[in-house]
Amino acid sequence: MKRNEYDVIIVGGGITGAGTARDCAMRGLKVLLIERHDIATGATGRNHGLLHSGARYAVTDQESASECIRENMILRRIASHCVDETDGFFITLPEDDLNYQAKFVESCLAAGIDAQIVDPKEALRMEPSMNPDLIGAVKVPDGSVDPFRLCAANMLDAKLHGAQVLLYTEVTGFIKSGDRIQGVRTYNHQTRKCAEYYANITVNAAGIWGQHIAELADVKIGMFPAKGALLIFAHRVNGIVINRCRKPANADILVPGDTVCIIGTTSTKIPFEECDGVRVTPDEVNLLIEEGAKLAPALASTRILRAYAGVRPLVSADNDPSGRNISRGIVCLDHETRDGLKGFVTITGGKLMTYRLMAEMVTDLVCRKLSIDKTCETATTPLPGAGGKSFREVAERFWENPTTVQKAAAGRLGTAVGRFQAADSVDQSLICECEEVSVGEINSAIERMDVSGLTDLRRRTRVGMGTCQGELCGCRAAGLLAKAHGCADRARTDLKDFMTERWKGMYPIGWGDALREAEYTQWVYKHVLGV
Amino acid sequence: MKFDTVIIGGGLAGLTAGISLQETGRKVAIVSAGQNSMHFFSGNFEDAGPAKERTAALFAAAGVRMSALEGVLLMPMGTFRQASLTLEDVTVFPDEHVAEKALIVNFTGFHDFYGTFLAEALEKRGTTCRIRFVRLPEMEHLRLSPSEMRSVNIARAMDEHWEKVVADIRILHKDEDLILLPQVFGLKDASVLDKIRTALPARVAFIGTMPPSVPGIRTQMLLRRRFELLGGTFLMGDEVTSAALHEGVVSSITTRNLDTVRLFADHFILASGGFFSKGLVSTPTQVYEPLFGLDIDYPEDRNAWYDADFFADQPYMDYGVRTDAQLHAMKDGEPMKNLFAVGSVLGNTRREDYGTAAGLAIRTAFAVADIIKGGNV
Repeated sequence: MKRNEYDVIIVGGGITGAGTARDCAMRGLKVLLIERHDIATGATGRNHGLLHSGARYAVTDQESASECIRENMILRRIASHCVDETDGFFITLPEDDLNYQAKFVESCLAAGIDAQIVDPKEALRMEPSMNPDLIGAVKVPDGSVDPFRLCAANMLDAKLHGAQVLLYTEVTGFIKSGDRIQGVRTYNHQTRKCAEYYANITVNAAGIWGQHIAELADVKIGMFPAKGALLIFAHRVNGIVINRCRKPANADILVPGDTVCIIGTTSTKIPFEECDGVRVTPDEVNLLIEEGAKLAPALASTRILRAYAGVRPLVSADNDPSGRNISRGIVCLDHETRDGLKGFVTITGGKLMTYRLMAEMVTDLVCRKLSIDKTCETATTPLPGAGGKSFREVAERFWENPTTVQKAAAGRLGTAVGRFQAADSVDQSLICECEEVSVGEINSAIERMDVSGLTDLRRRTRVGMGTCQGELCGCRAAGLLAKAHGCADRARTDLKDFMTERWKGMYPIGWGDALREAEYTQWVYKHVLGV
Repeated sequence: MKFDTVIIGGGLAGLTAGISLQETGRKVAIVSAGQNSMHFFSGNFEDAGPAKERTAALFAAAGVRMSALEGVLLMPMGTFRQASLTLEDVTVFPDEHVAEKALIVNFTGFHDFYGTFLAEALEKRGTTCRIRFVRLPEMEHLRLSPSEMRSVNIARAMDEHWEKVVADIRILHKDEDLILLPQVFGLKDASVLDKIRTALPARVAFIGTMPPSVPGIRTQMLLRRRFELLGGTFLMGDEVTSAALHEGVVSSITTRNLDTVRLFADHFILASGGFFSKGLVSTPTQVYEPLFGLDIDYPEDRNAWYDADFFADQPYMDYGVRTDAQLHAMKDGEPMKNLFAVGSVLGNTRREDYGTAAGLAIRTAFAVADIIKGGNV
């Protein structure tokens, strides 16, 4: 096989693409993954980070619900360092119908979800941030999951199994011979070079952008872009996920994650052309705060860090204008049987929770087409970094008395944190004080994890995700990148892009302390640092 | 307690007005919350305009040494800015070709000073650069905590150990005609800067770091000391809790620390700063001045408060307290009789008349002090 020939090319560096690359590589295929931006830049990095128990879908979609709970249990094992086992409540408020609760519990149990009715007073004792007016509570095995970490771990493992990854590389067209896709044409946005890569099978795992990729191959997939807006609060208000026990609606899930919590989402149909530049409107912000405060009243007075929005890659099935009644189900299309186009398959629909199952389904299809008889092992093989009981336990394996910085790194990297064992005091010094990210961790990410800029670095280390939103750590990390890449001009331009990207999520919530922080940051960058 | 003037805010504007009034023997109190914009000051007044000489004189009397050279500053991220009046340890170059060869010296593990950016900027302009690091055993204790290698902590260590660093730099130095150092020297006493210049074998330039700003903090301490030596009352770490207003006149205020003791004065000066300093407060629907409820012009539609470009001039920075031509603060469309507003609480739009933020602070402070001194209220 030539240098630019592969068994399979995967288009898309979100969680589905990363999971598929891992699965294919583990089954011995020669894999190339191509991503237009960075890992986790689409819907993967723009959701709640909810480890769904499936309860949310139990009443409306039993199939999705049972997929969720199975994958939920698998992720706790294979990605323990990405998962926080918080549990979740579905609460009934006075304006909700308490009769829904019985149907909800029954549906959960039918899907295999351990749903237990808890006395409202007891529930409030377990999660004191909840609305004290609640009249019903059901406990389910929800949790939270760090989608950036999960995606990076899949990508890393795919590479450890021999997969190649091309970031900032866009598929511009397909190489076709008769009724067969033979490969892709690409354009690298960093090197500004075009290239061609060949494979027996190309997997379209581009999420909502899969519609466009399909068009390049002359097949049609009708996507249903549904924008969902979310808010990040500056404190972890709740320790347990809080949901509303009713038919899914706006802003009815509050998920704790690391040091913050996230409320969402809205659901608005948007034209396909707007998928690339979604913004959160003041109306959406108002709605999220208003509805969020019904779940946890403290949200009304808690500082907001940022607003962001993602686009669900739903495949349109009916004419429901809200997009809520479309199944979140997995769609795996063999374009050979569907459209008479060989060598091309699409994996879409689904959700973060079911990424592994989606990867398994499409890898099964790829293997069938290539007549390869290998079974999937991703449900039982832990991802790099998984396997520790808790971040404390992991940190104590490597350090006698771990510092908070070492514990934070263990939380992010799991058992893979061991490579900092010999780090000296200079490596331990902090770049990002909000998220406790050290010099050593950043340098290691730059060396090992395909970091070309600050925003890439943020997705892999959480630099700039904390309260200050990058005002101090942005510069410090830019200094390290300038040194690592030997180019200060590039680092400075990159710093500008990074701050612009941070600001995009700040100005929709730009009042109170957030505006104070912004004024300070804008002052420092302009007048003190002279950026 | 009765004063001639009570000033709310102990930053550049408040201190300038306070010193200016106190110099003529008036009884002035400054209520200061603590940290202020001086802690993030680049040391460059950019354009002090007609107040340049008067500013230099007021600062000189306080022991703050200024440089009135026209030229350019090398900023921390490797860009150049115009300068006409700066603090003395902010190095001004006559033009952008600063040297033939430069030695850039940093402390190992100090991430708030960017040698790489400076070197690239200088090399583009024909200066050959070397970056070297020094590491003192006397500073190693700072590393015990991962967040202690910051400008002010290093500056505290340097007050004691600067001679050891100078000795290390003398060893590192080859034939460079310029040595670049971070601004972490002379926190307590700026005369150390001269001693460093004398002891090193090449011209020395001090370049800014990430905040906090060591020159800014030193300047704030000197100005405060000057104000107190002149007899002023500086209420540190205190904040105004209420104000008594009647028919356009402020008669007294209360503060958190003084509890029930009212501060009476003939004049009040609001120098409470912008949003960061809480001189202005924003909510999802409003921008307001929290102490007196003064008039502020801003659009109701929150979308109009921001520019999507982080580095553009942000509309929200323009919002500030409305005043008449003599800087009397306006409330309900009428000028207050004895309440003036100076500095950043006026908002950015006023900077067109007064230069940059530092220029605005100093010039409005002088203007109000003159009005009060002239009795022309």
